[in-house]
Amino acid sequence: MKRRAVLVGIGRTAYSRESGRSTLAMAAEACRAALDDAGLSAAAVDGIANFQVMDSVMGASVAHAVGIDELAWNLDLVGGGNFATSVVANTAMAIEAGACEAALVFRSLNGRSGRRFGRADGAVRVSGENQFAAPHGYLTPPQWMAMWAREHQSKYGSSCEDLGRIAVTQREHAKANGNALARRALDLEGYLAGRWINEPLRVYDCAFECDGAVALLLTTHERARDLRQLPVRLLGHAESTGHGGSWVSWPTFTSMYSAHAAPRLWARTGLGPDDVDVACMYDCFTYTVMVTLEEFGFCERGGVGRFFAEGRATYGGDVVVNPHGGLLSEGYIHGLNHHYEAALQLRGQAGSRQVRDAMIALVTAGAGPYGGAIIYSREA
Amino acid sequence: MDLQTPPQPVPDADSAGFWAATAAGELRLCRCADCRRWHQPPLERCPACGGATGFELVSGCGRIKSFIVVRHPAVPGYLEDLPYVVAIVDLDEQEGLRLPGRLLDADPARVDVGRAVRAEIVDLPGGDFRVVAFRLAGPAP
Ligand SMILES: [Zn+2]
Repeated sequence: MKRRAVLVGIGRTAYSRESGRSTLAMAAEACRAALDDAGLSAAAVDGIANFQVMDSVMGASVAHAVGIDELAWNLDLVGGGNFATSVVANTAMAIEAGACEAALVFRSLNGRSGRRFGRADGAVRVSGENQFAAPHGYLTPPQWMAMWAREHQSKYGSSCEDLGRIAVTQREHAKANGNALARRALDLEGYLAGRWINEPLRVYDCAFECDGAVALLLTTHERARDLRQLPVRLLGHAESTGHGGSWVSWPTFTSMYSAHAAPRLWARTGLGPDDVDVACMYDCFTYTVMVTLEEFGFCERGGVGRFFAEGRATYGGDVVVNPHGGLLSEGYIHGLNHHYEAALQLRGQAGSRQVRDAMIALVTAGAGPYGGAIIYSREA
Repeated sequence: MDLQTPPQPVPDADSAGFWAATAAGELRLCRCADCRRWHQPPLERCPACGGATGFELVSGCGRIKSFIVVRHPAVPGYLEDLPYVVAIVDLDEQEGLRLPGRLLDADPARVDVGRAVRAEIVDLPGGDFRVVAFRLAGPAP
């Protein structure tokens, strides 16, 4: 029988505005928690992977910190949230290829008290493609995303209210999540009263930057039989990177990587949007949720506002989008917290926010020109 | 922390011709000597045909593909200009040939997708560089 990788353990730290801790300490805590969750000893782990933007710690250091001093497989990816699914998929492929037997995947960052993605402070010198845009003050993801959202509003007539309904629904979900950092009530009026960051995006359109770490543990299906939790299966993965990863040259700002990754994912899994119970959509910004929901086929172009307004993106609707509150309201652990939530939901351990009979979860990662997606399923 | 000086470009071997041109008050972009395609950002060789490239004059005329109104000072510089408009401009020379740039002296309420603009080379505060900015040209389409 083919060797198959499954997700057997999840771990995390508390999420906060200021951890006061090293990314190494947080990564080690999350990895230990994932091992405890699975009931697997560190001695059985021979692989580790992470992604980061040189704001974190290397995998080998974290392995050492939890007592693993020899690794058969080690992957350190340098990049953003677009790697939040491919880092897991690559780990599964390494296990299935026999490169290792059990592997940890982590993301650890002081994303609020340390380096923040939404800012470029101080006198900066900018190379690469950004050398052309940065001198105009155009350098941060919230600006790129606002630039893209404007084209959608112009082309499809989507509105700020449509984006607001995404933020409001996810905040409603976060209220049932004790780990979420943003739980204060938010209605559409409150959303619209939020301060502008870059028109047409307001503060509530942006991820809630925070400090913390998440870790996942994968191993073979065979080994999972002896472990504590119901294993979560990976049914398929797809990704796409285009136009040199450029946020300027990408042809149409109303479309993202998902235009290519979504059909690839559905073809590989034989599934479609109707099969998905829980959709952990990468939500660095509300606009990412808008376009990826369209392109993964949950609703028609320009229909996302209505999709949320009619309750189709929440409990009792078509699919529950980001039941944990997402990066917008739970916190920005760069998308690895989406996998944590998907596993909780498929294991039936999500407590008061449990999606009833959740069998299939979609996790997406990334935005703009690059990203990917994984389909997880509950063990039948 | 210097909040007054906007980010400064770091030219490299591929982009040096662009910055040399703006310093001389010209807008020149990378163009393949063989197939005549334009490329921005510039590359040493043409990705389409592998031909050698050079920098050639462009008209600086184009249309606003999209724009933002910056209201939150996340990047140093232009603080006294807040709120200011940054646009991505589709240049007339070739479909998909684009430049990002500030829209000078623009009332955000009058800016819209599709409006015609014209490039203007201006000094970049805080150094010796000159950059390509834009100005609205003509009425709404
Ligand atoms: Zn050529």
